[in-house]
Amino acid sequence: MSNAEPMTRARPPARRRLKVTLLDAVLIVAAVAFVAYLVYRVNAYLVYHWDWGRLLQYFFYYDPDQDQWVANLLIEGLLITARTSLWAMVFASIFGLVMGLCRVSHVALFRMIARGYVEFVRNMPPVPFLFILFFFVGNQLLKPLELTELAQAAPPYVQDVIVLLFGELNLLRNFSAAVIALALYEGAYITEIVRAGLLSIERGQWEAGDSLGLSRTSQLRYVILPQAVQRIAPPLANQFIQLIKDSALVSLISIQELTFMGNEIAVSTTRFFETWLIVAAMYFGVCYGLARLFARMERRMNRGRM
Amino acid sequence: MTHDSSDVADVAPGQPMIELHQISKWFEDFQALREVSLDVTSGERVVVCGPSGSGKSTMIRCINRLERHDSGRIVVDGIELTDDMKNITAVRREVGMVFQQFNLFPHLTVLDNLMLAPMKARKMSKKEARELAMLYLERVHIPEQAAKYPSQLSGGQQQRVAIARSLCMRPRIMLFDEPTSALDPEMIKEVLDTMVELAEDGMTMIVVTHEMGFARTVANNMVFMDAGEIVETAAPEVFFSSPESERTKTFLSQILIH
Amino acid sequence: MTAPSDTAVRRSGRITRIPWFDGLQFFLLVGGLIYLAVAGASAFNYNWQWYRIPRLLYREVDGEFMLGPLIDGLFVTFELSAWALPLSIAVGLITALLRRSDSFAGRYLASGYLQVIRNTPILVQVYIFYFVVAPIFGLSPFWACILALSFHEGSFTAEIFRSGIESVPKGQWEASDSIGLTRYEKYRHIVLPQAVPLMLPPLTGQVVTLIKHSSILSAVAIFDLTTMALDLIAETFMAFEIWLTTGAIYIVVTGTLSIVVGLFEVRIRRRGAR
Ligand SMILES: Nc1ncnc2c1ncn2[C@@H]1O[C@H](COP(=O)(O)OP(=O)(O)OP(=O)(O)O)[C@@H](O)[C@H]1O
Ligand SMILES: [Mg+2]
Repeated sequence: MSNAEPMTRARPPARRRLKVTLLDAVLIVAAVAFVAYLVYRVNAYLVYHWDWGRLLQYFFYYDPDQDQWVANLLIEGLLITARTSLWAMVFASIFGLVMGLCRVSHVALFRMIARGYVEFVRNMPPVPFLFILFFFVGNQLLKPLELTELAQAAPPYVQDVIVLLFGELNLLRNFSAAVIALALYEGAYITEIVRAGLLSIERGQWEAGDSLGLSRTSQLRYVILPQAVQRIAPPLANQFIQLIKDSALVSLISIQELTFMGNEIAVSTTRFFETWLIVAAMYFGVCYGLARLFARMERRMNRGRM
Repeated sequence: MTHDSSDVADVAPGQPMIELHQISKWFEDFQALREVSLDVTSGERVVVCGPSGSGKSTMIRCINRLERHDSGRIVVDGIELTDDMKNITAVRREVGMVFQQFNLFPHLTVLDNLMLAPMKARKMSKKEARELAMLYLERVHIPEQAAKYPSQLSGGQQQRVAIARSLCMRPRIMLFDEPTSALDPEMIKEVLDTMVELAEDGMTMIVVTHEMGFARTVANNMVFMDAGEIVETAAPEVFFSSPESERTKTFLSQILIH
Repeated sequence: MTAPSDTAVRRSGRITRIPWFDGLQFFLLVGGLIYLAVAGASAFNYNWQWYRIPRLLYREVDGEFMLGPLIDGLFVTFELSAWALPLSIAVGLITALLRRSDSFAGRYLASGYLQVIRNTPILVQVYIFYFVVAPIFGLSPFWACILALSFHEGSFTAEIFRSGIESVPKGQWEASDSIGLTRYEKYRHIVLPQAVPLMLPPLTGQVVTLIKHSSILSAVAIFDLTTMALDLIAETFMAFEIWLTTGAIYIVVTGTLSIVVGLFEVRIRRRGAR
């Protein structure tokens, strides 16, 4: 047994035999029975006639006047969802970073403010929260700013940029209020992510900073934050997906994003089944795709560090 | 030794207890064991050593199916290890294992740690189980700790409780995976002494350790592993004085220099 | 271990007891914010009609005491949550067990369910249950809402069960295997006794989440607290008063529950640290 040559053998063909257990059998039978019952209810009881084709035009339709295909409600809604989510994410990250730093501050007042903010959002249901902030922000903070009038006074090319970034000019105040309300909601969760990231840095790092005579700000800026960012990024990416899902709620305050459009289409065509399944599938595609993408980026980031 | 040793070695010495026949084990694409073969007979005490990552833990963990081997045969006390859960459970009841990190159950007292398996797996009554547990606690010299929780014990005491917990199943074979390497130096001796006593009682043992003093006094057989292979098997006298392989010599020269 | 713990905070000495002076500052700040909101509203001549609010909470008609619409709504919210809580725990437990089972069909079913729930908005899930599932199976709106909530929250409870079970260290599983316990005995005597204390606080915290999420059901016809508020605003145009009152009711209820859960958690942690 003193064979010094390491034996190099290929791995034997993976013996992952598909073992079918009793539970498998039960579950498969149950699933098949469930689907059969579903089909029976839809076809025989409701006598429902699926009409998926009717909904395709809500993605794109052919406009004879312009002689081209034009994006319709579903695609428009998706774009507005994207626009809302991106802006809300920007503001939520800012709120979250500021409040997260307050959360670990030496100043008790700052800690209490941040804590109060987080606890308020955590205990407040999202719908009343969005409505309340939408009203307050829209009526109290943004009304005096007269955003729409400001924008309309701008030169046409500036207006184009504004429309591209924020949507229709006359809806500017609603859009901003919705974005800020949503951002304040998600910001509380980002606050906790930032806090967790900062606290995950070992105490020794702070002490090393202290021993070098760095101010607390410098410690944060040069020692703690650069390390924390790597730990904050993955949960932050997940929070973005959460935000996209939560952005469906601003349909309730009449922002015309995907869910709002879904409602419009469902009511006007009365094709409730097809519409909601399509809308759900669109959200699923976006969120699942992003989740996979973020997971892959995280893996790459981790590999890069090793 | 004055202990009652009726519970071990009721098999004639020399009868095969463990047969590993060309076992291989992969983790993904990495081959951790390369056609390893080893026979252990009843009452034999095998000490396994080798550099870190050489597959020592993997090998002994295959013996009670904490790891599933990918090819080759493992027969323990006449029972072949297959995917059959009945065989696996049967083997696990024959084989006790002591871990580097003790792995005591933190939510149970010392006594309950010891009584659990006899009551559940061996269906003993509570009274019997308690008597058995106290017997083994005495044997590892800490009966007075019975009512404490593991976190209230020192590392050496915890490891002795872990040994006692395994013995309560009256195993015919004991596996030890670096039982002393998580311990402070002053506690190593108490654990090794317990193991020596066990050896004197005739227990079949496979011990992964780098305690060469222990190996010299206890082992009948030394096994040196490297890179997933058994490089050398020899009686301790031969193993320490004139090892055959270069790899063994290098390894021994590194660890015997203290 | 990257998760921060309270001990980490305490050790680093960054959380100190709140001095009364800071508390005072905090209350001044909150008071200031409220004052600003009220003053801002008055500035553009908002017609405050707080005196009409108590009627929405309770009334006395001919000496008889009657609950107002907001409190009725709160009870519907409670009722929805009370049904959805056990159902979501059942869904979560079954999902968690299927994910750990030997059965590939079980694992596929469980992870498929989790992916679908996790990657679609709860609002769309509510619409699907209300407009698609309910007509197909002939469910009442009330039960469509409860099922939507239960299946949504089930994905959270499944995660609570999973992380509770997985937080039991690997050595504990191996030690149980090495002394020959069966799978049932292993869960019963080793894994669950260690995992359940960790799972209880987040599971009770689910009550707060349920009450919060039930507000989303106001998007369909169910007469919970949020729907009542929306309807009353449409009738009376007292948007600020009614939203503030509704918000306060929610905060009182969920805040109280959160504090109870917090105390519970502290007690369990203290008992765990023997
Ligand atoms: N669960 C696992 N997944 C992937 N690789 C593993 C796993 N367990 C062990 N290995 C690899 O298999 C090889 C052998 O590991 P093993 O633990 O058996 O070594 P060892 O000889 O016990 O080393 P040590 O002295 O450090 O305990 C190592 O290279 C290790 O990285
Ligand atoms: Mg090892």
